Amino acid sequence: MIRDGIKTITLATLALAVVLGARGQAPADDANTLYERMAPIDQYLMTDRNTEIAFARTAAPESISRDAEVLVLGRHGYETAVKGKNGWVCVVERSWMAPFDDPEFLNPDQRVPLCLNPPAARTHLPLTFKTTELAMAGQSKTQMFDSIKAAYDKKELPLPEPGAMCYMMSKQQYFSRKIGNADPHLMFWFPKTDDMFWGAAFPDSPIDVHQYSPQPITEFDISVSKWSDGTAAPKN
Amino acid sequence: MNRKFVNTIALRSLALVVVLGVAWQAQARDAKAPYPSMAPLEQYLMVDRNSEIALARSAAPESISKDAEVMVLGRRGYETAVKGTNGFVCMVERSWTAGINDPDFWNPKLRGAICFNPPAVRSYLPITLKKTALVLAGLDKAEMFEKLKEAFISKELPAMQVGAMSYMLSKQAYLSDQDGHWHPHLMFFIPQMDADSWGANLRGSPILASVDAEDGFTVFLVPVAKWSDGTTDGE
Repeated sequence: MIRDGIKTITLATLALAVVLGARGQAPADDANTLYERMAPIDQYLMTDRNTEIAFARTAAPESISRDAEVLVLGRHGYETAVKGKNGWVCVVERSWMAPFDDPEFLNPDQRVPLCLNPPAARTHLPLTFKTTELAMAGQSKTQMFDSIKAAYDKKELPLPEPGAMCYMMSKQQYFSRKIGNADPHLMFWFPKTDDMFWGAAFPDSPIDVHQYSPQPITEFDISVSKWSDGTAAPKN
Repeated sequence: MNRKFVNTIALRSLALVVVLGVAWQAQARDAKAPYPSMAPLEQYLMVDRNSEIALARSAAPESISKDAEVMVLGRRGYETAVKGTNGFVCMVERSWTAGINDPDFWNPKLRGAICFNPPAVRSYLPITLKKTALVLAGLDKAEMFEKLKEAFISKELPAMQVGAMSYMLSKQAYLSDQDGHWHPHLMFFIPQMDADSWGANLRGSPILASVDAEDGFTVFLVPVAKWSDGTTDGE
């Protein structure tokens, strides 16, 4: 649910999301899209389990991630690699969690660590698991879109709980060649609401907004000044 | 509401925050505290109404504050100076919105410029207005918090709404004697949630929190890079 930590990308994607939303249609297959279908599954997997565990934990300061549950991606989906004790869950999400209209959707190089707080672990992770299951089953983007929409329509997937949020502060996170590791930021999820709810997406607001589709979810992003290792992020 | 955070950031040390919290409590009991009681009302008022409107609006980017309602403090409480169209409300809070043990609680120099989003307007702003009414009626701090507690119990004051938050990006604000305008930041008001739920106050976390027992919710605070005028916070 993550990806667009950078305002320019967010706004560009948001514009497209609005168009798609207005049409009420699934995204049409686009011959120009780089990653219309899944690459071989091995390209999405990390060969070393311990590396993935360490990578997942870089999403948040050690004070949070050291006691978090850690999930790693296997050939049959995410599995618990480390049990936690503080209610947080850290995971490296793959590109199928990007918005359906994102050109990086299904990009096998994308690696995005998140640490989810307890409300987000309860309400965001089910979406991560469902989307991962669909992607690994080889569904096309359109099929995945329809399946996710149906899951929300049938209330099989929960809406964000109040206070659902996550940390994305890994200096090693990778979104795409264009934006690289973006910036360290926090993300907050709500059942779909309007941009003005937090005053986001207005000139000079420190808050970005992303309206997802078909997920009935609004995401607010706030950039922070440091990576999880304590080093300062570039000011822009 | 935000006084405690000011010192928190300035010291950049969680351990010191704890020490400071204890120190504040001690100071609150100290008769030599710099502001033991309310100063004459005139000291809390701003002479020029337009200056107060401008200061209130400086809490958020102009794109938000230009269409916000603006309230100013008069002798009988806050009053609407400018009607808004976007659901936000900007105002300049005075020191009595600080926590009960804050040494600046009666500091007449404090000017907390703040813009509330619509859920906060409906659920946080009534608390500020209530506190102000009680203070202007002459109640001391203990009496004010007791009345406030009764107002929560009787549901005269509403529960905090989901998504309630505010902007505090004014470079011209004055939040405490120790830290002046401090840093630009956003504040989030969450009922019945402890600080750990957002990983706040932990080493390396970009989030600070204060459980406001008197008001029944937790305030989460996230510093941001720029002031409302677009200039970068200089650390």
